[in-house]
Amino acid sequence: MTGATFELPTELAIDTGIARRVIAEFIRGQLRQAGFERAVLGLSGGIDSGLVAYLVAEAIGPQRLLCVMLPYRTSSPNSRADAEEVIRQLGCPSELVEITPMVDGYFGAPETAGSPAARGTGEPDASQLRRGNFMARMRMAVLYDRSVTWGGLVVGTGNKTESLIGYTTLFGDNACAFNPIGDLYKSQVRQLAAAVGVPDAIIAKAPSADLWPGQTDETEAGFSYPELDRLLYWLIDKRRSPEELVAKGFPAGLVTWAVRAVAGAEFKRQVPPIAKLGPRTAGIDYLYPRRRPGSART
Amino acid sequence: MQPLTIALAQIAPRLGGFDENLERHHALLAEARGVGAGLVVFPELGLTGYLLQDLAGEVAIRLDDPRLAALAAETTGLSAVVSFVEESADHRLFIAAALLEDGRLVHVHRKLFLPTYGLFDERRFFAPGDLLRAVPSRLGIGLGVGICEDFWHLPVPQLLALDGAHLLINVSSSPGRDLAATNEVGLGTATSWRTLMRTYAQLTTSFVVFVNRVGVEESISFWGGSEVIGPDGAPVFSAPLYDEGLYPVQIDLTEVRRARISLPLLRDERPELEVREMERIVAERAGLARDATADPDAEPGLDVAPAAQSASVLRP
Repeated sequence: MTGATFELPTELAIDTGIARRVIAEFIRGQLRQAGFERAVLGLSGGIDSGLVAYLVAEAIGPQRLLCVMLPYRTSSPNSRADAEEVIRQLGCPSELVEITPMVDGYFGAPETAGSPAARGTGEPDASQLRRGNFMARMRMAVLYDRSVTWGGLVVGTGNKTESLIGYTTLFGDNACAFNPIGDLYKSQVRQLAAAVGVPDAIIAKAPSADLWPGQTDETEAGFSYPELDRLLYWLIDKRRSPEELVAKGFPAGLVTWAVRAVAGAEFKRQVPPIAKLGPRTAGIDYLYPRRRPGSART
Repeated sequence: MQPLTIALAQIAPRLGGFDENLERHHALLAEARGVGAGLVVFPELGLTGYLLQDLAGEVAIRLDDPRLAALAAETTGLSAVVSFVEESADHRLFIAAALLEDGRLVHVHRKLFLPTYGLFDERRFFAPGDLLRAVPSRLGIGLGVGICEDFWHLPVPQLLALDGAHLLINVSSSPGRDLAATNEVGLGTATSWRTLMRTYAQLTTSFVVFVNRVGVEESISFWGGSEVIGPDGAPVFSAPLYDEGLYPVQIDLTEVRRARISLPLLRDERPELEVREMERIVAERAGLARDATADPDAEPGLDVAPAAQSASVLRP
């Protein structure tokens, strides 16, 4: 067990034994049904991908998991060190793929010591948001390429909180073959991470997208995860109205912001709509399970 | 009356893999026979898997299917409940459970209540059954079979018991959800089911056999936790959550008599009262009788009266 301390709202506490059991079967089931024995994920050094690495290693054995570290030149060296510690503790295969040339090759980059400036599109002043989204999509592109070379499915590492408020990049970090922790709030991710033995330093540090030095989720968006998790739990899982949330004691401003964020991110959580024209259309009136006899890779 | 060994087949069927699942049923029937079982119970849609969607029509079988007859042929001196997609002669698809005994198919129950809410979408793909019957068994007792959601409706266990069932069987594909640590067993679904099944056993003073599948389909994990509950409402056996296995449980059927004489709830039921009051409620809902709990000015069959200024708009 861990000594890391974190705030876990009472109503969010889960039975971590059952969660580990369900998730391990889920991971094995997803791979088996697709005809795969291996998995690959992007390991950032944060708690979400760290936890998923532990869960996948627990489900199928560390030798079948490839952890890919995908830093950009501004990524924190501490993140890299935390990711390496996870790899060391799990004993799983790993790779380091710098995404700097890919990102700078597109946007352009200033000349740095000894190397010429990347020309790119000549937009070195592109916004942090554009850069962050582009980095997430470059990481996705690398992982899906490694999915082929490693012969494993890409495992998603996004949690329920960030999915609900839309704190993800469409076709970037939310792209995956399956996601074992997508129904766990950030506080529950911390609880489960502590139970499976994710290093204390990773559990205790402030969550960050690591897009620029010193950035953290909570300072950027102005919330604390335990409070936001509780709010979302009562709003989504327990079907309380915004008025009822305010009456329960949640700050009105946070409630308004969260309700808008959840509605505004609906499109990120769903498959894009197809214009209905023919007699039978995928997802509308052609409805098959993703995995059925004949659907596995042979 | 000899003690009865019930084998709970808490299996993980392969979605859409009928032949593979059928083979597994044959193997488990043999295994159950080996442990002296008199009754073997397989979970809901154990022959097909649960989240079939448009696969339902592709794995459906008729009651005269030779594969079902071959499975029945394995039940000499044995009773077995198996579940599959049944296609009727007029091509409706049902979620069905069949009682096989001594080489024959002796009873079919078609799922009555098809959950189509939350994570369920059954009514889109299946037709609901219209019959509920207790059935006499070679075991010397009456059996009552229901499928999953059927037992989330109060009349079902009661009707089966009143119709002569001593042992109620529920076969399920229940998806586990709500992992709140505050629950009895760490899983909200398991707590709900256990509460219901124990209550039914006690109120109908019958044995209740609950067989739930395990395994993963798409996002859903089925939680197992199959149980046998005595006619006093106390569990006789609880299978582990999520573990696949064939679990033999021995029960003493004479406990039903003892329970029903010491706690004669079933004797004291008032079916004629229920029928009268149900007929009244149905008539009120259909607008054929005045509904005492509706707004005084409500149209027959409706329970809310329109606001005064809009009343004229509704009139033809």
